Amino acid sequence: MSDTLVRIVKAVGLAAILVWSLGPVLFVVMSSLKPAGDIFNYPPSLVFVPTLENYRALWTEFADFFPALRNSLIVAVGATLLSTVVSFMAGYVYSRYSGALVASSALYMIAVRLLPPIVVTLPLFPAVDFLGLSDTHLVLIVLYAAFWVSLVTIILKTFIDEVPRELDEAAEMDGASQLQILLRVILPLAAQGIAAGAIFVFIFSWNEFLFALIFTTSNAKTAPLVISEVMDAIYGTSWGVLFAGVTVQILPVLLLVILANRLIVAGLTSGAVKG
Amino acid sequence: MKKPNLGAYILAAPVHILLAMTMTIPAIYIFWLSLNESTYGTGQLFVGLDNYARIFSDPAFWRATSNTFIVVNAIVYLEILLATAIAALLVSGVPFRSLMIALVLVPYSVSEVITVLVWKSLMNPSYGVIGRTIADMGYAMNWSASPVAGLTLVAIISIWQHLPFSVILIYAGMTAIPGSLYEAAEVDGAGRFQSFCRVTLPLLLPTLLIALLFRFAFAFRLFSEVGLLTGGGPARTTEVLGVYLYRDAYRDGAFGTAAATGWIMVVGTLLIASLYLWLMQRSMRNGNV
Repeated sequence: MSDTLVRIVKAVGLAAILVWSLGPVLFVVMSSLKPAGDIFNYPPSLVFVPTLENYRALWTEFADFFPALRNSLIVAVGATLLSTVVSFMAGYVYSRYSGALVASSALYMIAVRLLPPIVVTLPLFPAVDFLGLSDTHLVLIVLYAAFWVSLVTIILKTFIDEVPRELDEAAEMDGASQLQILLRVILPLAAQGIAAGAIFVFIFSWNEFLFALIFTTSNAKTAPLVISEVMDAIYGTSWGVLFAGVTVQILPVLLLVILANRLIVAGLTSGAVKG
Repeated sequence: MKKPNLGAYILAAPVHILLAMTMTIPAIYIFWLSLNESTYGTGQLFVGLDNYARIFSDPAFWRATSNTFIVVNAIVYLEILLATAIAALLVSGVPFRSLMIALVLVPYSVSEVITVLVWKSLMNPSYGVIGRTIADMGYAMNWSASPVAGLTLVAIISIWQHLPFSVILIYAGMTAIPGSLYEAAEVDGAGRFQSFCRVTLPLLLPTLLIALLFRFAFAFRLFSEVGLLTGGGPARTTEVLGVYLYRDAYRDGAFGTAAATGWIMVVGTLLIASLYLWLMQRSMRNGNV
């Protein structure tokens, strides 16, 4: 192949990737800025005068949305904190200790990740009900955290592996306890790994649908669940309001993914390949 | 490396308590539940293998199984193929590479619910940008009437959502291949295509197997895309195992038969996983590390 041809093929390929990745998101953002009547014009109007009308109507016409967004935030922050704290402690153990139990339980953690989540909801549903936890933030926080601890532990293990053992040993000689080593020596040096793990849990919890559908009914309903309820029963002008809500739901994590793309790549590769 | 002491066990305990409570014990308990008749998980009555006999004689179960098999295979192989092409393009040197990678990740930030909403809007045969265009060419994708159209759209949606994961894995695998091997291939007179087939692919095999393993396990749990797009309809023709189980459990309250379906899903997932782990071990023994 001649160099020009290679260059053309590459350019076409890149353009296709961009349209594929960004097109659907741009469609949401643009629709949220159009007058409701113009959203589904065919052919679509690519150039238009943007209006904030849909965002203004969001407060009045989509009253369930902001409480749901608040629930999403509480659940996502809670699950992120819980899973990173416990995974950090476990990641340290898997990085620094060895033995048959350590090795076999590491393998077990990978196997557990493969279980289909809908299956485990069956015994959990009556259990959660029995404990009086249905429709609470706590049940989603615990489930989302539990769902990610195995991957985040593996990510943190690979990051903590990079911290020289000599540092632990020196601190130990100075009489530091295990907990002190963990907090004073390892924590600052594994901060990147913690951030990578936290990003995965946050994005997952912010967007999750299945557990929210099964375990919440009104008080703890999250934004994706409320959006799914609205999208099936929608008509006429509400489309604009829905797309405004969707844009508000997408934007924070979209920015997070774009800005933290290096951490996501590092986390995915250490979690999957080395795990 | 040290032997774990009491402190180490205490530090590792919370993760294992969480996993046991929410994953391991429920997954094992499912097997017991599948041998009982139960409404919403309570009022159990031991019925032996009746639940299995019941789902095996239900045509909707077999429909869901074959739909799952077809859709999951289509999703996983198409996705890995596309991801390999995209990763190869990114590795070959493109302008603004790190920005391109960030943009490839964009679908990862979008909720399944919103992904379905957007593709539903784009593909609508009467007003969607893509749907209307292909309808005008004579290929209307009417998923509320045609199961093939519905499942095709499910596959597209699922691939769009998960492609970033596969691209990143395969991209990382490709960048780990030492450049000296490509130089050697070039000295030996290999072209671009030849060096891709002879150098990249064999060395990438373990990475591809890992990507396949994870994607199969994750695609197997397919639920939201189908549930939100077609709800399993028309007339239960687009149901997959996840939707079949959900309907059984949460619409009809039949937790015993749902648990039987669930146990089949657990065993299926473990079988797929062991197949790929076995292939991985074999490819490593053959020196393709």
